[in-house]
Amino acid sequence: MTKNDLVFEPPIMNAAGCLGFFPDLHGMTDWGRLGAFITNPVSLTPRTPARGCRFQAYAGGYLLHTGYPNPGFSQVLRRHAGHWSGSPVPVIVHLLGRGTEEIAKMARRLETVEGVSGLEIGVVSDASAEMVAALTQAASGELPVIMQLPMERSVELASAAIQAGAVAVSLAAPRGITQAQEGEFVQGRLYGPAILPLALRKVHELTQLGIPTIGAGGIYTQEHKNAMLTAGALAVQLDGLLWRGAGFSSLL
Amino acid sequence: MARYTGRVSEIRLEAGRDMEVRIACPAGAIPSVGQYLLASDADNLDDVLGVPLFAIEKSHHGFWAAPLYPITWTPGTTLDLVGPLGHGFDLPHNLQRLGLVAMGETVSRLMLLIHRTAQTKGGMTLFTDLTLPMLPTALEIYPLASMKEALDWPDFMALDVPLRRMVELRDVLGLSYGTGLPCPAQVLVTTPIPCAGIAQCGACAVPSRRGWKLVCEDGPVFELNSLKW
Repeated sequence: MTKNDLVFEPPIMNAAGCLGFFPDLHGMTDWGRLGAFITNPVSLTPRTPARGCRFQAYAGGYLLHTGYPNPGFSQVLRRHAGHWSGSPVPVIVHLLGRGTEEIAKMARRLETVEGVSGLEIGVVSDASAEMVAALTQAASGELPVIMQLPMERSVELASAAIQAGAVAVSLAAPRGITQAQEGEFVQGRLYGPAILPLALRKVHELTQLGIPTIGAGGIYTQEHKNAMLTAGALAVQLDGLLWRGAGFSSLL
Repeated sequence: MARYTGRVSEIRLEAGRDMEVRIACPAGAIPSVGQYLLASDADNLDDVLGVPLFAIEKSHHGFWAAPLYPITWTPGTTLDLVGPLGHGFDLPHNLQRLGLVAMGETVSRLMLLIHRTAQTKGGMTLFTDLTLPMLPTALEIYPLASMKEALDWPDFMALDVPLRRMVELRDVLGLSYGTGLPCPAQVLVTTPIPCAGIAQCGACAVPSRRGWKLVCEDGPVFELNSLKW
Protein backbone atom coordinates (compact mmCIF):
# COMPACT_ATOMS: atom_id res chain seq x y z
CA MET A 1 0.00 0.00 0.00
CA THR A 2 1.43 3.39 -0.95
CA LYS A 3 0.17 6.81 -0.03
CA ASN A 4 -1.67 7.50 -3.26
CA ASP A 5 -2.25 3.99 -4.43
CA LEU A 6 -4.55 2.39 -1.90
CA VAL A 7 -4.67 -1.28 -2.80
CA PHE A 8 -5.51 -4.05 -0.36
CA GLU A 9 -4.79 -7.55 -1.56
CA PRO A 10 -6.92 -9.40 -0.67
CA PRO A 11 -9.53 -6.66 -0.13
CA ILE A 12 -10.33 -7.75 3.43
CA MET A 13 -9.23 -6.31 6.76
CA ASN A 14 -10.48 -6.08 10.30
CA ALA A 15 -12.39 -3.10 11.62
CA ALA A 16 -10.69 -1.10 14.34
CA GLY A 17 -11.36 -2.62 17.74
CA CYS A 18 -11.82 -6.18 16.50
CA LEU A 19 -8.34 -7.74 16.56
CA GLY A 20 -6.40 -5.86 19.21
CA PHE A 21 -3.39 -3.57 18.99
CA PHE A 22 -1.05 -5.74 16.91
CA PRO A 23 -1.22 -8.71 14.55
CA ASP A 24 -0.90 -11.60 16.98
CA LEU A 25 1.05 -14.21 15.08
CA HIS A 26 0.29 -16.77 17.81
CA GLY A 27 -3.44 -16.10 17.66
CA MET A 28 -6.13 -17.56 15.45
CA THR A 29 -6.02 -15.19 12.50
CA ASP A 30 -4.77 -16.43 9.16
CA TRP A 31 -2.88 -13.27 8.26
CA GLY A 32 -2.25 -14.34 4.70
CA ARG A 33 -5.99 -13.92 4.12
CA LEU A 34 -6.08 -10.30 5.23
CA GLY A 35 -4.98 -7.31 3.15
CA ALA A 36 -4.27 -5.09 6.16
CA PHE A 37 -4.49 -4.94 9.94
CA ILE A 38 -6.14 -2.01 11.72
CA THR A 39 -5.24 -1.43 15.35
CA ASN A 40 -7.69 -0.86 18.16
CA PRO A 41 -8.47 2.84 18.55
CA VAL A 42 -5.58 4.73 20.15
CA SER A 43 -5.93 8.07 21.94
CA LEU A 44 -3.21 10.46 23.06
CA THR A 45 -4.05 9.90 26.72
CA PRO A 46 -5.30 6.67 28.33
CA ARG A 47 -9.02 5.87 28.17
CA THR A 48 -10.73 3.63 30.71
CA PRO A 49 -13.63 1.29 29.90
CA ALA A 50 -17.12 2.76 29.89
CA ARG A 51 -19.13 2.48 33.09
CA GLY A 52 -22.34 0.50 33.29
CA CYS A 53 -23.73 -1.92 30.74
CA ARG A 54 -21.34 -2.41 27.84
CA PHE A 55 -22.96 -5.22 25.84
CA GLN A 56 -26.52 -5.98 24.79
CA ALA A 57 -27.54 -8.65 22.30
CA TYR A 58 -30.58 -8.21 20.08
CA ALA A 59 -32.02 -10.15 17.16
CA GLY A 60 -29.49 -10.05 14.33
CA GLY A 61 -26.75 -8.29 16.22
CA TYR A 62 -25.51 -6.65 19.36
CA LEU A 63 -24.69 -3.29 20.86
CA LEU A 64 -21.27 -2.45 22.29
CA HIS A 65 -20.46 0.49 24.52
CA THR A 66 -16.86 0.01 25.57
CA GLY A 67 -15.47 3.53 25.62
CA TYR A 68 -12.60 2.34 23.38
CA PRO A 69 -10.30 1.68 26.33
CA ASN A 70 -6.61 1.95 25.55
CA PRO A 71 -3.46 2.70 27.53
CA GLY A 72 -2.71 5.88 25.61
CA PHE A 73 -0.50 6.63 22.63
CA SER A 74 2.90 6.41 24.35
CA GLN A 75 2.10 3.09 26.03
CA VAL A 76 0.70 1.63 22.81
CA LEU A 77 3.89 2.53 20.98
CA ARG A 78 6.05 1.13 23.76
CA ARG A 79 4.14 -2.15 23.96
CA HIS A 80 3.18 -2.81 20.35
CA ALA A 81 5.24 -0.86 17.83
CA GLY A 82 7.83 -3.62 17.75
CA HIS A 83 5.15 -6.04 16.56
CA TRP A 84 4.05 -3.67 13.82
CA SER A 85 7.48 -3.70 12.17
CA GLY A 86 7.35 -7.50 11.98
CA SER A 87 3.78 -7.67 10.74
CA PRO A 88 3.02 -9.98 7.81
CA VAL A 89 0.39 -7.48 6.58
CA PRO A 90 0.32 -3.65 6.33
CA VAL A 91 -0.52 -2.04 9.68
CA ILE A 92 -2.91 0.89 9.83
CA VAL A 93 -3.07 2.69 13.16
CA HIS A 94 -6.53 3.93 14.16
CA LEU A 95 -6.37 7.25 16.01
CA LEU A 96 -8.96 8.87 18.22
CA GLY A 97 -8.49 12.57 18.79
CA ARG A 98 -10.32 15.24 20.69
CA GLY A 99 -9.03 17.81 18.22
CA THR A 100 -6.59 18.59 15.45
CA GLU A 101 -3.62 19.14 17.76
CA GLU A 102 -3.85 15.66 19.23
CA ILE A 103 -4.27 14.02 15.84
CA ALA A 104 -1.37 15.99 14.34
CA LYS A 105 0.90 15.11 17.25
CA MET A 106 0.20 11.39 16.98
CA ALA A 107 0.34 11.35 13.18
CA ARG A 108 3.74 13.05 13.04
CA ARG A 109 5.16 10.62 15.57
CA LEU A 110 3.80 7.61 13.66
CA GLU A 111 5.52 8.77 10.48
CA THR A 112 8.78 7.82 12.19
CA VAL A 113 7.61 4.40 13.40
CA GLU A 114 8.70 1.44 11.32
CA GLY A 115 5.92 -0.81 10.07
CA VAL A 116 3.10 1.73 10.02
CA SER A 117 1.54 1.82 6.54
CA GLY A 118 -1.34 4.21 7.11
CA LEU A 119 -3.67 5.97 9.49
CA GLU A 120 -7.37 5.64 10.08
CA ILE A 121 -8.90 8.57 11.93
CA GLY A 122 -12.05 8.07 13.98
CA VAL A 123 -14.58 10.89 13.86
CA VAL A 124 -17.14 11.63 16.57
CA SER A 125 -20.75 11.08 15.55
CA ASP A 126 -21.70 14.77 15.66
CA ALA A 127 -18.65 16.12 13.80
CA SER A 128 -19.22 18.87 11.26
CA ALA A 129 -17.82 18.78 7.74
CA GLU A 130 -15.37 21.51 8.78
CA MET A 131 -14.15 19.37 11.67
CA VAL A 132 -13.72 16.37 9.36
CA ALA A 133 -11.67 18.47 6.95
CA ALA A 134 -9.55 19.88 9.77
CA LEU A 135 -8.87 16.42 11.24
CA THR A 136 -7.96 15.10 7.80
CA GLN A 137 -5.50 17.92 7.23
CA ALA A 138 -4.04 17.44 10.70
CA ALA A 139 -3.44 13.76 10.04
CA SER A 140 -2.11 14.20 6.49
CA GLY A 141 1.60 13.98 5.99
CA GLU A 142 3.71 11.10 4.83
CA LEU A 143 1.16 8.36 5.52
CA PRO A 144 -2.10 7.69 3.67
CA VAL A 145 -5.12 8.73 5.72
CA ILE A 146 -8.46 6.92 5.84
CA MET A 147 -11.23 8.86 7.54
CA GLN A 148 -13.66 6.64 9.44
CA LEU A 149 -16.97 8.47 9.28
CA PRO A 150 -20.18 7.91 11.23
CA MET A 151 -22.11 5.57 8.94
CA GLU A 152 -25.36 7.50 9.24
CA ARG A 153 -23.69 10.77 8.12
CA SER A 154 -21.01 9.37 5.83
CA VAL A 155 -22.49 10.76 2.60
CA GLU A 156 -22.76 14.22 4.15
CA LEU A 157 -19.16 14.22 5.40
CA ALA A 158 -17.22 12.22 2.82
CA SER A 159 -16.48 14.99 0.32
CA ALA A 160 -14.93 17.13 3.05
CA ALA A 161 -12.60 14.27 3.95
CA ILE A 162 -11.52 13.53 0.40
CA GLN A 163 -11.05 17.17 -0.54
CA ALA A 164 -8.89 17.64 2.53
CA GLY A 165 -6.58 14.83 1.48
CA ALA A 166 -7.99 11.52 2.69
CA VAL A 167 -7.31 8.62 0.34
CA ALA A 168 -10.52 6.86 1.33
CA VAL A 169 -13.33 6.81 3.84
CA SER A 170 -14.45 3.90 5.96
CA LEU A 171 -17.67 3.43 7.88
CA ALA A 172 -17.95 3.43 11.65
CA ALA A 173 -20.58 1.19 13.19
CA PRO A 174 -23.92 3.01 13.43
CA ARG A 175 -25.12 4.03 16.87
CA GLY A 176 -28.28 2.90 18.56
CA ILE A 177 -30.01 2.39 21.89
CA THR A 178 -31.17 -0.80 23.54
CA GLN A 179 -32.82 -1.42 26.88
CA ALA A 180 -30.82 -3.42 29.38
CA GLN A 181 -32.26 -6.11 31.64
CA GLU A 182 -32.41 -3.66 34.54
CA GLY A 183 -34.50 -1.25 32.43
CA GLU A 184 -31.81 1.32 31.75
CA PHE A 185 -31.27 2.52 28.19
CA VAL A 186 -27.82 1.84 26.78
CA GLN A 187 -26.30 3.76 23.88
CA GLY A 188 -23.59 2.25 21.76
CA ARG A 189 -22.32 0.96 18.46
CA LEU A 190 -24.35 -1.62 16.57
CA TYR A 191 -22.89 -4.74 15.00
CA GLY A 192 -24.15 -7.88 13.33
CA PRO A 193 -25.77 -8.94 10.05
CA ALA A 194 -28.87 -6.83 10.81
CA ILE A 195 -27.02 -3.64 9.83
CA LEU A 196 -25.72 -4.93 6.49
CA PRO A 197 -28.52 -3.34 4.39
CA LEU A 198 -27.84 0.06 5.96
CA ALA A 199 -24.11 -0.27 5.36
CA LEU A 200 -24.60 -1.49 1.80
CA ARG A 201 -26.80 1.50 1.02
CA LYS A 202 -24.13 3.90 2.27
CA VAL A 203 -21.41 2.20 0.27
CA HIS A 204 -23.59 2.37 -2.82
CA GLU A 205 -24.29 6.08 -2.32
CA LEU A 206 -20.66 6.94 -1.59
CA THR A 207 -19.24 5.08 -4.56
CA GLN A 208 -21.86 6.68 -6.81
CA LEU A 209 -20.34 9.99 -5.74
CA GLY A 210 -16.88 8.72 -6.65
CA ILE A 211 -15.71 8.46 -3.03
CA PRO A 212 -13.13 5.70 -2.44
CA THR A 213 -14.89 3.68 0.23
CA ILE A 214 -13.97 0.82 2.51
CA GLY A 215 -17.21 -0.98 3.30
CA ALA A 216 -17.99 -2.14 6.81
CA GLY A 217 -20.93 -3.33 8.84
CA GLY A 218 -22.61 -6.70 9.14
CA ILE A 219 -20.37 -8.65 6.79
CA TYR A 220 -20.62 -12.30 7.81
CA THR A 221 -20.59 -14.32 4.57
CA GLN A 222 -18.96 -14.52 1.17
CA GLU A 223 -22.19 -13.13 -0.30
CA HIS A 224 -22.10 -10.13 2.02
CA LYS A 225 -18.49 -9.40 1.08
CA ASN A 226 -19.20 -9.78 -2.61
CA ALA A 227 -22.19 -7.46 -2.36
CA MET A 228 -20.02 -4.76 -0.80
CA LEU A 229 -17.35 -5.13 -3.47
CA THR A 230 -19.96 -5.18 -6.25
CA ALA A 231 -21.43 -1.97 -4.81
CA GLY A 232 -18.04 -0.41 -5.39
CA ALA A 233 -16.18 -0.77 -2.10
CA LEU A 234 -12.44 -0.99 -2.63
CA ALA A 235 -12.17 -3.32 0.37
CA VAL A 236 -14.23 -4.50 3.33
CA GLN A 237 -13.73 -4.41 7.07
CA LEU A 238 -14.85 -7.32 9.25
CA ASP A 239 -16.02 -6.95 12.82
CA GLY A 240 -17.98 -9.45 14.93
CA LEU A 241 -17.40 -12.29 12.49
CA LEU A 242 -13.79 -12.33 13.66
CA TRP A 243 -14.97 -13.16 17.19
CA ARG A 244 -16.75 -16.35 16.19
CA GLY A 245 -14.92 -19.60 16.60
CA ALA A 246 -14.18 -20.10 12.94
CA GLY A 247 -12.95 -16.55 12.36
CA PHE A 248 -13.60 -15.42 8.83
CA SER A 249 -13.51 -18.84 7.19
CA SER A 250 -17.10 -18.30 5.99
CA LEU A 251 -15.74 -15.62 3.65
CA LEU A 252 -13.23 -17.88 1.95
CA MET B 1 -5.46 -20.53 22.02
CA ALA B 2 -6.42 -23.44 19.77
CA ARG B 3 -9.28 -24.18 17.41
CA TYR B 4 -11.26 -27.39 17.35
CA THR B 5 -14.37 -28.77 15.75
CA GLY B 6 -16.91 -30.29 18.12
CA ARG B 7 -20.49 -31.49 18.10
CA VAL B 8 -23.53 -31.33 20.32
CA SER B 9 -23.97 -34.99 21.16
CA GLU B 10 -26.78 -34.85 23.75
CA ILE B 11 -29.09 -32.45 25.56
CA ARG B 12 -30.61 -33.29 28.94
CA LEU B 13 -33.15 -31.70 31.24
CA GLU B 14 -33.29 -33.37 34.63
CA ALA B 15 -35.65 -32.34 37.41
CA GLY B 16 -34.50 -29.20 39.14
CA ARG B 17 -31.65 -28.62 36.78
CA ASP B 18 -30.96 -26.31 33.89
CA MET B 19 -30.82 -27.64 30.35
CA GLU B 20 -27.38 -29.11 29.89
CA VAL B 21 -25.57 -29.94 26.70
CA ARG B 22 -22.93 -32.58 26.08
CA ILE B 23 -20.15 -31.48 23.77
CA ALA B 24 -18.16 -34.10 21.88
CA CYS B 25 -14.68 -32.70 21.34
CA PRO B 26 -10.99 -33.55 21.59
CA ALA B 27 -9.59 -33.86 25.10
CA GLY B 28 -7.47 -30.76 24.61
CA ALA B 29 -10.56 -28.61 24.19
CA ILE B 30 -12.13 -29.47 27.55
CA PRO B 31 -11.93 -26.48 29.88
CA SER B 32 -10.70 -26.96 33.42
CA VAL B 33 -12.86 -25.71 36.26
CA GLY B 34 -13.47 -21.98 35.79
CA GLN B 35 -12.01 -21.83 32.31
CA TYR B 36 -14.28 -21.50 29.29
CA LEU B 37 -14.50 -22.67 25.70
CA LEU B 38 -15.86 -20.33 23.03
CA ALA B 39 -18.39 -22.21 20.89
CA SER B 40 -20.18 -21.13 17.71
CA ASP B 41 -22.66 -23.01 15.56
CA ALA B 42 -20.58 -23.66 12.45
CA ASP B 43 -23.59 -23.64 10.13
CA ASN B 44 -25.77 -20.93 11.64
CA LEU B 45 -24.50 -17.38 11.34
CA ASP B 46 -27.69 -16.09 12.97
CA ASP B 47 -25.88 -16.74 16.23
CA VAL B 48 -23.70 -13.72 15.65
CA LEU B 49 -21.25 -14.34 18.48
CA GLY B 50 -19.75 -17.37 20.13
CA VAL B 51 -20.98 -18.66 23.50
CA PRO B 52 -18.66 -19.28 26.47
CA LEU B 53 -19.12 -22.83 27.75
CA PHE B 54 -18.05 -23.97 31.22
CA ALA B 55 -17.63 -27.63 32.09
CA ILE B 56 -20.08 -29.20 34.55
CA GLU B 57 -18.57 -32.67 34.32
CA LYS B 58 -16.24 -34.48 32.03
CA SER B 59 -17.70 -37.28 29.93
CA HIS B 60 -16.63 -39.83 27.40
CA HIS B 61 -14.95 -37.92 24.52
CA GLY B 62 -16.04 -34.53 25.75
CA PHE B 63 -17.85 -32.75 28.57
CA TRP B 64 -21.22 -31.59 29.84
CA ALA B 65 -21.50 -27.82 29.56
CA ALA B 66 -23.15 -25.25 31.74
CA PRO B 67 -25.89 -23.02 30.42
CA LEU B 68 -26.70 -20.77 28.81
CA TYR B 69 -26.37 -22.00 25.26
CA PRO B 70 -28.46 -21.10 22.17
CA ILE B 71 -31.84 -22.81 21.93
CA THR B 72 -31.11 -23.50 18.26
CA TRP B 73 -28.50 -26.09 19.22
CA THR B 74 -29.70 -29.66 18.79
CA PRO B 75 -27.91 -33.01 18.93
CA GLY B 76 -25.74 -33.13 15.84
CA THR B 77 -25.05 -29.39 15.66
CA THR B 78 -21.47 -28.86 14.53
CA LEU B 79 -19.54 -26.38 16.64
CA ASP B 80 -16.46 -24.27 16.02
CA LEU B 81 -14.56 -24.27 19.29
CA VAL B 82 -11.80 -21.97 20.53
CA GLY B 83 -9.96 -22.51 23.77
CA PRO B 84 -9.80 -23.45 26.53
CA LEU B 85 -9.58 -19.78 27.44
CA GLY B 86 -8.82 -17.76 30.53
CA HIS B 87 -7.70 -18.65 34.03
CA GLY B 88 -9.67 -21.15 36.10
CA PHE B 89 -9.81 -21.95 39.82
CA ASP B 90 -6.57 -22.95 41.52
CA LEU B 91 -7.41 -24.64 44.80
CA PRO B 92 -4.83 -25.22 47.54
CA HIS B 93 -3.61 -28.82 47.81
CA ASN B 94 -4.25 -29.05 51.55
CA LEU B 95 -7.83 -27.81 51.32
CA GLN B 96 -9.97 -28.98 54.27
CA ARG B 97 -13.09 -26.79 54.19
CA LEU B 98 -14.29 -25.25 50.94
CA GLY B 99 -16.82 -22.44 51.04
CA LEU B 100 -18.79 -21.86 47.83
CA VAL B 101 -20.90 -18.83 46.95
CA ALA B 102 -23.19 -18.72 43.90
CA MET B 103 -24.78 -15.34 43.16
CA GLY B 104 -25.40 -15.83 39.43
CA GLU B 105 -28.32 -17.39 37.57
CA THR B 106 -26.98 -20.93 38.04
CA VAL B 107 -24.72 -23.00 40.24
CA SER B 108 -23.54 -24.98 37.22
CA ARG B 109 -20.20 -23.24 36.79
CA LEU B 110 -19.20 -24.50 40.25
CA MET B 111 -20.33 -28.08 39.65
CA LEU B 112 -16.96 -29.41 38.51
CA LEU B 113 -15.45 -27.98 41.67
CA ILE B 114 -18.20 -29.56 43.79
CA HIS B 115 -17.80 -33.00 42.22
CA ARG B 116 -14.04 -32.85 42.54
CA THR B 117 -14.11 -31.81 46.18
CA ALA B 118 -16.79 -34.42 46.98
CA GLN B 119 -14.27 -37.10 46.02
CA THR B 120 -11.94 -35.92 48.78
CA LYS B 121 -12.51 -35.98 52.54
CA GLY B 122 -12.82 -32.21 52.65
CA GLY B 123 -15.93 -30.44 53.92
CA MET B 124 -17.92 -28.27 51.54
CA THR B 125 -20.61 -25.64 52.08
CA LEU B 126 -22.55 -23.77 49.41
CA PHE B 127 -24.22 -20.41 50.07
CA THR B 128 -26.82 -19.45 47.51
CA ASP B 129 -30.43 -18.35 47.07
CA LEU B 130 -30.85 -20.37 43.86
CA THR B 131 -33.17 -23.33 43.40
CA LEU B 132 -30.76 -26.20 43.27
CA PRO B 133 -30.45 -29.49 41.39
CA MET B 134 -29.54 -32.77 43.08
CA LEU B 135 -26.14 -32.24 44.62
CA PRO B 136 -23.64 -34.52 46.39
CA THR B 137 -24.70 -35.30 49.96
CA ALA B 138 -21.31 -34.14 51.21
CA LEU B 139 -22.38 -30.60 50.36
CA GLU B 140 -24.15 -28.49 52.96
CA ILE B 141 -26.31 -25.70 51.58
CA TYR B 142 -27.33 -22.44 53.23
CA PRO B 143 -28.94 -19.19 52.06
CA LEU B 144 -26.70 -16.28 51.20
CA ALA B 145 -27.90 -14.37 54.25
CA SER B 146 -26.17 -16.87 56.55
CA MET B 147 -22.81 -16.35 54.91
CA LYS B 148 -21.90 -13.60 57.36
CA GLU B 149 -22.00 -15.97 60.33
CA ALA B 150 -19.92 -18.62 58.60
CA LEU B 151 -16.94 -16.63 57.42
CA ASP B 152 -14.60 -18.28 59.93
CA TRP B 153 -15.43 -21.80 58.74
CA PRO B 154 -13.81 -22.21 55.28
CA ASP B 155 -10.09 -22.27 54.69
CA PHE B 156 -10.72 -21.36 51.04
CA MET B 157 -13.64 -19.78 49.21
CA ALA B 158 -14.72 -20.04 45.57
CA LEU B 159 -17.36 -17.60 44.39
CA ASP B 160 -19.42 -17.22 41.20
CA VAL B 161 -20.58 -13.61 40.94
CA PRO B 162 -22.01 -11.64 38.01
CA LEU B 163 -20.03 -8.47 37.36
CA ARG B 164 -23.11 -6.33 38.00
CA ARG B 165 -23.49 -7.88 41.47
CA MET B 166 -19.88 -7.38 42.58
CA VAL B 167 -20.99 -4.18 44.33
CA GLU B 168 -23.26 -6.28 46.58
CA LEU B 169 -20.56 -8.69 47.61
CA ARG B 170 -19.31 -6.75 50.62
CA ASP B 171 -22.86 -6.63 52.02
CA VAL B 172 -23.43 -10.33 51.35
CA LEU B 173 -20.24 -11.20 53.18
CA GLY B 174 -20.97 -8.71 55.94
CA LEU B 175 -17.63 -6.98 55.56
CA SER B 176 -17.06 -3.29 56.01
CA TYR B 177 -14.90 -1.41 53.54
CA GLY B 178 -11.22 -2.03 54.17
CA THR B 179 -11.69 -5.45 55.74
CA GLY B 180 -11.08 -8.70 53.89
CA LEU B 181 -12.02 -12.34 54.20
CA PRO B 182 -10.20 -14.41 56.81
CA CYS B 183 -9.24 -16.98 54.16
CA PRO B 184 -7.98 -16.88 50.55
CA ALA B 185 -10.76 -16.59 47.97
CA GLN B 186 -11.14 -16.75 44.21
CA VAL B 187 -14.08 -15.38 42.26
CA LEU B 188 -15.41 -16.42 38.86
CA VAL B 189 -16.74 -13.16 37.40
CA THR B 190 -19.55 -13.70 34.91
CA THR B 191 -20.37 -11.10 32.28
CA PRO B 192 -20.74 -11.11 28.50
CA ILE B 193 -17.34 -11.71 26.88
CA PRO B 194 -18.07 -10.93 23.22
CA CYS B 195 -14.52 -10.90 21.86
CA ALA B 196 -13.19 -13.72 24.06
CA GLY B 197 -9.86 -11.94 24.33
CA ILE B 198 -9.28 -11.69 20.60
CA ALA B 199 -9.62 -7.91 20.57
CA GLN B 200 -9.26 -6.69 24.15
CA CYS B 201 -12.46 -4.83 23.33
CA GLY B 202 -13.10 -3.86 26.95
CA ALA B 203 -16.70 -5.01 27.15
CA CYS B 204 -15.85 -7.32 30.05
CA ALA B 205 -13.51 -4.98 31.94
CA VAL B 206 -13.50 -5.24 35.72
CA PRO B 207 -11.80 -2.80 38.11
CA SER B 208 -8.82 -4.24 39.96
CA ARG B 209 -6.28 -2.89 42.41
CA ARG B 210 -3.85 -2.64 39.49
CA GLY B 211 -6.06 -0.93 36.96
CA TRP B 212 -8.65 -2.54 34.75
CA LYS B 213 -8.57 -6.26 34.05
CA LEU B 214 -10.40 -8.19 31.34
CA VAL B 215 -12.60 -11.09 32.37
CA CYS B 216 -11.99 -12.75 28.98
CA GLU B 217 -8.23 -13.11 29.32
CA ASP B 218 -7.16 -12.10 32.85
CA GLY B 219 -10.09 -14.07 34.33
CA PRO B 220 -12.75 -15.27 34.42
CA VAL B 221 -11.39 -16.45 37.80
CA PHE B 222 -9.54 -13.82 39.85
CA GLU B 223 -8.03 -13.69 43.29
CA LEU B 224 -10.83 -11.86 45.08
CA ASN B 225 -8.44 -9.48 46.79
CA SER B 226 -6.91 -8.47 43.45
CA LEU B 227 -10.23 -6.85 42.45
CA LYS B 228 -11.90 -3.71 43.69
CA TRP B 229 -15.16 -4.80 45.33
